[in-house]
Amino acid sequence: MRRGLSVLLAASLALAPISAAWAQATGDGDRLKVVTSFSILRDWVRIVGGDRVDVTTLVGPGADAHVYVPTPADAKVLGAAKLIVVNGLGFEGWMERLVQASATKAPVVTASAGVMPRQAGNLGRNSTARNDPHAWQSVHNAKIYVANIRDGLVRVDPQGRSAYEANAAAYLQQLDLLDADTRRAIATIPPARRKVITTHDAFAYFGAEYGITFIATQGVSTETEASARDVARIIALVREEKIPAIFFENVVDPRLLKRIAAETGARIGGTLFSDALTAATGAAPTYVDMMRHNVREIGDALK
Amino acid sequence: MSLYDLLVSPFVEFEFMRRGLIGVFALVLGASPVGILLTLRRMSLMGDAMAHAILPGAAIGYLISGLSLFAMTVGGLVAGLLVALAAGGVARATELKEDASLAALFLVSLALGVAIVSIRGNSIDLLHFLFGNVLALDNEALVLIAVIATISLLTLALIWRPLVMESVDAGFLRSVSRAGGPAHIGFLSLVALNLVGGFQALGTLLAVGIMIFPAVISRFWSRDLTAMTVIAAVAGLLSGYCGLLLSYHAGLPASPGIILFAGAVYCGSVLLGRCGGLLRGLISRRHLEA
Amino acid sequence: MAAQLKFRDLTLGYDRHPAVHHLTGMVEEGAMLAVVGPNGAGKSTLFKGIIGLLPPLSGTIDRGVGIREMAYLPQVAEIDRSFPINVYDLVAMGLWRRIGPFGAIREREREKIREAIGTVGLTGFERRPIGGLSGGQMQRVLFARLLLQDSRLVVLDEPFNAIDDRTVTDLIALVHRWYGERRTVLAALHDIELVRRHFPQTLLMAREPVAWGETGRVLTPENLAKARRMCEAFDEAAAECAVAAE
Repeated sequence: MRRGLSVLLAASLALAPISAAWAQATGDGDRLKVVTSFSILRDWVRIVGGDRVDVTTLVGPGADAHVYVPTPADAKVLGAAKLIVVNGLGFEGWMERLVQASATKAPVVTASAGVMPRQAGNLGRNSTARNDPHAWQSVHNAKIYVANIRDGLVRVDPQGRSAYEANAAAYLQQLDLLDADTRRAIATIPPARRKVITTHDAFAYFGAEYGITFIATQGVSTETEASARDVARIIALVREEKIPAIFFENVVDPRLLKRIAAETGARIGGTLFSDALTAATGAAPTYVDMMRHNVREIGDALK
Repeated sequence: MSLYDLLVSPFVEFEFMRRGLIGVFALVLGASPVGILLTLRRMSLMGDAMAHAILPGAAIGYLISGLSLFAMTVGGLVAGLLVALAAGGVARATELKEDASLAALFLVSLALGVAIVSIRGNSIDLLHFLFGNVLALDNEALVLIAVIATISLLTLALIWRPLVMESVDAGFLRSVSRAGGPAHIGFLSLVALNLVGGFQALGTLLAVGIMIFPAVISRFWSRDLTAMTVIAAVAGLLSGYCGLLLSYHAGLPASPGIILFAGAVYCGSVLLGRCGGLLRGLISRRHLEA
Repeated sequence: MAAQLKFRDLTLGYDRHPAVHHLTGMVEEGAMLAVVGPNGAGKSTLFKGIIGLLPPLSGTIDRGVGIREMAYLPQVAEIDRSFPINVYDLVAMGLWRRIGPFGAIREREREKIREAIGTVGLTGFERRPIGGLSGGQMQRVLFARLLLQDSRLVVLDEPFNAIDDRTVTDLIALVHRWYGERRTVLAALHDIELVRRHFPQTLLMAREPVAWGETGRVLTPENLAKARRMCEAFDEAAAECAVAAE
């Protein structure tokens, strides 16, 4: 009896380090390090990647990727990554240099590949990016993004193929639901009232997809400044077309909008989110939350 | 387009144009006499330095109370005054002249401001919040500008004489009076105050512009201090008016438009001004009898 | 005769190096005293001490007139000549003690200003900007300002340096007028002949007082030579002064 016990004891003692090593092998150290440029991409990578990935974003919630200035810490993070996901379409003007500086060996996935781009700037302002980068605002495009992310993950981590495909498929179904709900919600708005003003020219894709006219007071980038002519045009437009609502975007000066609303009597809508998600406690912590929030705000303002 | 359409109707049709005009007008009234003394006392660049010194104060105000005009104004004012007083104090107590000590201090101030803003974590474009938009002057901003202009004019009326004396012959003033120090501090306070007000209307560098340009323009049209103040005010008002019209008709962004117009008037004055204009000398006129 | 200024073992200087060393004596009320000495003798330093710009390194100055009641003309006027101010306004500054920052300038004051400008021979120059004045004219303007200050003690530091003879003549006459009005006048001067001709009393110094009293007795060749011998530059290796403070 005692011999058996001591054999068991010895065996378990021997097994302990082995099992610990085995446990560690499938623990944190094994997760795929992915870096995305901004928070919406991180959301998708998390969903598609699930437990297999450890994803961080350079431009965090609430921040503005248009004017982001990368830090040395970012270069380090990129250097350690196995996969990098960016939007493309000129959204991250600072990304190319950063990737070079980090000397990373990770492949870069342009999530918007395959999306039909729109031209930027509907107020005749010259911006350096000629494409409008906010393609994710259309759910149809979002599905393309998700597919690209899935394919990128599969290429870098073929072993996870089944997991990635399953996660992506489930999420794509959610997106279809989102798309249908959105169309239904917009349909309840009288067509004559489907016009809206925002500060940030980021909703062109949404507008085209779902039939709402978005008019912005500033160009695509947050750096261009409005002229009196632009403001006067908008006020005249609002007065003429009887545009019912004006919306704030969460990273640009709302004072100009307040002034226009005061002068035209238009309703000031809530905040619309376009370029970034909010923190977990905020109104738009995931892409789906963001879209639903925006649709709700637009619906409330325009009814 | 009739003259009326060109010059008047934009202001009649749009309230934001009227507000912008009133805001700039009020700002000019307070800032241009301050600017004249600033340039005469060879402190023109100091205005720019002060503008940067105000930044961290306003940033701290934003951090504490969010987008509160009051908090940022007070913060900016306190920071500006501290830097100005410290610079003056160091200049008086040590051998360092005022411009050098001010340069050192405003650089510290600026670095502090940048650090504070970036610690926040977000790269929210604080600039948009700290620096105003002349096209978006709400009631709060207009009241602020009006109050600043009033305080400026009243204070200037009070300290004008010692201030002028201090500018011309500081040694003499010191020998007969102790008013020099307080007048100097009062003046620096007005500079800070008007810069803060200028921020709200025009943004930082342009706030300095509306203080400096009318003053340098006036030097080319008169050698009499009182006349200069009037000319400066007129030049500033004209720049505001025409700058806004430029923004309306030609689509220039508003604040740069105002300052560019002021710059054009300045260039014109350099060439054609009555007092020392470059081209005037070329027009040969017979010298006088005595 | 009452003392207008009393120096008790006065030492004034910069960075602990004495420029005026152990000066004791008094200036009577109504005196017209020339202060003479070679370069670096401490004349300007003494005047700065008298008007309170420089605190003593040791010793004291008793003043019969408040510091702000003194009229002082520095050797180099730090006046900004490019400032858009005219002769009239600059002279009017002399009224500060009487009208302060807000006092109105009424007819009586305007009369005084015009009179002062006339006394220095600049009638007609009232509207002239100070930037357009010659050296001599500028000095006249400053004297006019001193006139308006109407002070019991006038301190002039090298008032006639690089000034034309005509102006010197006119301004010396003004100094005599002050003397006649029983005001105390101190003037630091380089021109020994001028001093001999116009100033009844002289203090000859070369950091330390060499001679002080009636001009004829002070400005002897021996005294002048003695003053010249005393060195100009501060001695970097000087020891602490051994003369005990009184």
